[in-house]
Amino acid sequence: MSALRRLLPGLLLAALPVLVHAHGEAVSIPSVAARDVPRALAVRGELGAPPRGVVELKFGEIFRTPVGPLGLEPSEKLATLDGKRVRMVGYVVPLYPPAEDRFLLSPLAVDIGHEDESLADNIPPSAVMVHLSEPAGATIPRIPGLVRLTGTLSVGSREDAASGRVSSVQLTLDAPVTRAVRRVSREAARSAETPRHRH
Amino acid sequence: MSFVSRSGRGLPLLAATILGVLAGDAFAARISRLTPPSELFASGEESPVIARFLPGQRFDLQMTIEPDPGRTIVSFDFIVDDQSTLRPFWVDGELIHDPRATLTSTVTETGPAATCIAASGRTTGASGCKLVAGLPGNATVISRRAYSNSRAGVHTLRAIARQDDGSTISATGNFEIVGIDAESGQVAKNIVIFLGDGMGAAHRTAARIISRGYAQGKAKGLLAMDTFPNTGMVMTASLNSIVTDSAPGMQNYVTGNKANNNEEGVWPDDTRDAFDNPRYEYLSEYLHNLQGKSLGVVTTADVFDATPASMAIHTSARGNGTGIVDQFFDDRDQTGLTVLLGGGRKWFLPNPSDSTSPQPVNGSQRRKSNDYVLGDDIVNGWGVARGVLDPERDLIAEFRDAGFRYAADKTGLDAAFGAGTPDKLLGLFSYSNMNVAYDKIAGRRGDSTVVDAFGFPDQPMLDEMTDAALKVLSKNPNGFVALIEGSSIDKQAHLMDTDRWTLEVIELDRAIAVAKRFAERNPDTLVLVTADHECSGAAIIGAATVSAATLEADPDAGKGVVGTYEAARFPKYTMAEDGYPQTTHIDGKMLIGYGANADRYETWLPNRFPTRDTQQPFPPSQSPANPSVRNESSGYLITGQVPGDQATHTATDIPLSAYGRGAHHFNGVFDNTDVFFKIGQIAIGGAD
Repeated sequence: MSALRRLLPGLLLAALPVLVHAHGEAVSIPSVAARDVPRALAVRGELGAPPRGVVELKFGEIFRTPVGPLGLEPSEKLATLDGKRVRMVGYVVPLYPPAEDRFLLSPLAVDIGHEDESLADNIPPSAVMVHLSEPAGATIPRIPGLVRLTGTLSVGSREDAASGRVSSVQLTLDAPVTRAVRRVSREAARSAETPRHRH
Repeated sequence: MSFVSRSGRGLPLLAATILGVLAGDAFAARISRLTPPSELFASGEESPVIARFLPGQRFDLQMTIEPDPGRTIVSFDFIVDDQSTLRPFWVDGELIHDPRATLTSTVTETGPAATCIAASGRTTGASGCKLVAGLPGNATVISRRAYSNSRAGVHTLRAIARQDDGSTISATGNFEIVGIDAESGQVAKNIVIFLGDGMGAAHRTAARIISRGYAQGKAKGLLAMDTFPNTGMVMTASLNSIVTDSAPGMQNYVTGNKANNNEEGVWPDDTRDAFDNPRYEYLSEYLHNLQGKSLGVVTTADVFDATPASMAIHTSARGNGTGIVDQFFDDRDQTGLTVLLGGGRKWFLPNPSDSTSPQPVNGSQRRKSNDYVLGDDIVNGWGVARGVLDPERDLIAEFRDAGFRYAADKTGLDAAFGAGTPDKLLGLFSYSNMNVAYDKIAGRRGDSTVVDAFGFPDQPMLDEMTDAALKVLSKNPNGFVALIEGSSIDKQAHLMDTDRWTLEVIELDRAIAVAKRFAERNPDTLVLVTADHECSGAAIIGAATVSAATLEADPDAGKGVVGTYEAARFPKYTMAEDGYPQTTHIDGKMLIGYGANADRYETWLPNRFPTRDTQQPFPPSQSPANPSVRNESSGYLITGQVPGDQATHTATDIPLSAYGRGAHHFNGVFDNTDVFFKIGQIAIGGAD
């Protein structure tokens, strides 16, 4: 067996991840710098009480604990908040394929994994599908750090038509919060087009 | 060795080799892979023999053929010692068995050509295609399933394929049947394997220093595993690396064969399907078929994890959780599965949506994409279930319907024995890997912050699971094979969380003590304590020269507080009645260095929350993401020597200790696959 014949399949295999990687790069999601996160969203230091009429909902309160023998079950608190205004604090997880009107809010700072990988999926079941009250007009970007969001809660399993993702809790953002997300999304899209130069 | 005969009658090897070299053609016809793997095929050397089997142990034969351009394969054979393995079997003129019709399969690239064949004519290996990337577009993978041979000695395997122009391609390899000395004394009826995942010599020593203590150079007591009369050293390499991962690390012990990293119960192949790889029979399958033994799998990990799956599951992708847990259940009549205890409930809950980002409301992780369906050849050859892509399956309900008692927590485990010992037992105590001893014990002592945050405050300890498993398994008069795994010795060593992995070794040792007591009462039992590999290059570098309070006041002290040699003295931990140290946060605590370390910030202090592990579907938000950010604001940066966020496995030999019937077979330095043949001898032929 000649050395070339032995090496060739290996060389071809070695070239493949580059192509895949290049393919993956074709659809990139813009990022926001920490200093550009709007004050209306950022969590800096101790968070005060939510505004009147708004209930604080923590991720740890979404399911009953301890976990039941046959799986997670929604908590009573969650059921009582259906249709009510709540405030949640978590990490923005942009959707894949990229979306302009919704994203996931997760208790962990994670990305959506690719279909074929993952020993465990890394989006926890308590993640909430967040809908803007109107589309941002740009891809929802990666936003670093914790954000606080206020909106109206909706409880019940719902499938997202574009991504096929099924969420058990949804949050429709209040108009002022939607405006803040729109602003940061458009700015992120603009700076992705015109990369900043170092001075 | 692979060569082509244009005459169709076979050329002398030398002439064929010269022709091949002169041709220098990357696309010349050849057999590019012959399975079982052999050095005879790979390099032309007759030794070492890579693939070895016990008499009658089943295994698959397979070849990947790269035909001449435009040619197809029209016929083939697998010939062992000049005898076809595909001969039909006739009785009184009636065809009883035709292996070619029932036990073979041919896989070619039948996926969409536009996606699966590149402009170069080579396969792309893309999603939806049949073959892996880089093969000629007409490459052909041919399998002959579930072959076995009972004649001891080295055998020659010759694979032949004929192209549609009449020329033939052939290749030669070898394998060995390791004989069993019959009637060599009393046999071991029960085989118990303790697997301290990632547990090297340093991990054992660290547990001894903490739990027994030293005085003037002498250990004040021994670990249960230290009291085993025989100890050997195990070489742990996998089929494709000196550094193994946990799949081959475990399965090599219980199949006698080397697997590639990330693969269990199979050899590598050239198809994309992770469940169609050439298989070989597990100890559990072999002894269940031969002697009617039961199988018990007990782990502190998610039960789909590489080590537990490597007792019974055949797949080339250790991450395929849905298919793995389904196979545990579907093939229980092949393996004798009677006890399955651990974490991993997320794989057993129905997920009709087949969506997991985010997971469904019950937290199920089941997906079609990691489930299994087998071809006719495997189903016919191995007598196993075909499988269905069924994320909607309610596997807990099916286990119950099949007579398994289901326990969801420690209270449920105790209750399962309320009306006598159950015949079969399923315990799923958490969603993925169970919490570690450090956090479970804290919960039992009244600080349940961590176990509450995970949602599972009532998880059993490994000694309790071991006791339950042995009670159930010992109901079988034919005996049993049991794996009992301390899985997070490895997981916490990866995370370089010293306070957590040291307690994992202590937890494992307490389970070993339970099995040792069982073996004292049941002398027809062999108990092995070993590891799949060493993890993290752990080394006991000394002890802190300062008090716990000083460490806390200055967590950035780094090497300034590491006492080496006599400055280490003898760290003194106080053990509580529950068998674990009252605290690991002591004055002059033992310190661990990591030779296979990734970047980490070290404070030498216990971490309040466990660091996130990649298999947990929903770790609490207080868990640091990885060691390279843990204690970033307070600790001392130790630059890693390996890439990534975690410490890695190492190729260092690991100790194996043996107790009970046949223990004396386990002295010296031996390969991990040798353990399988020693067990075979002791369980079938006798232990003298």
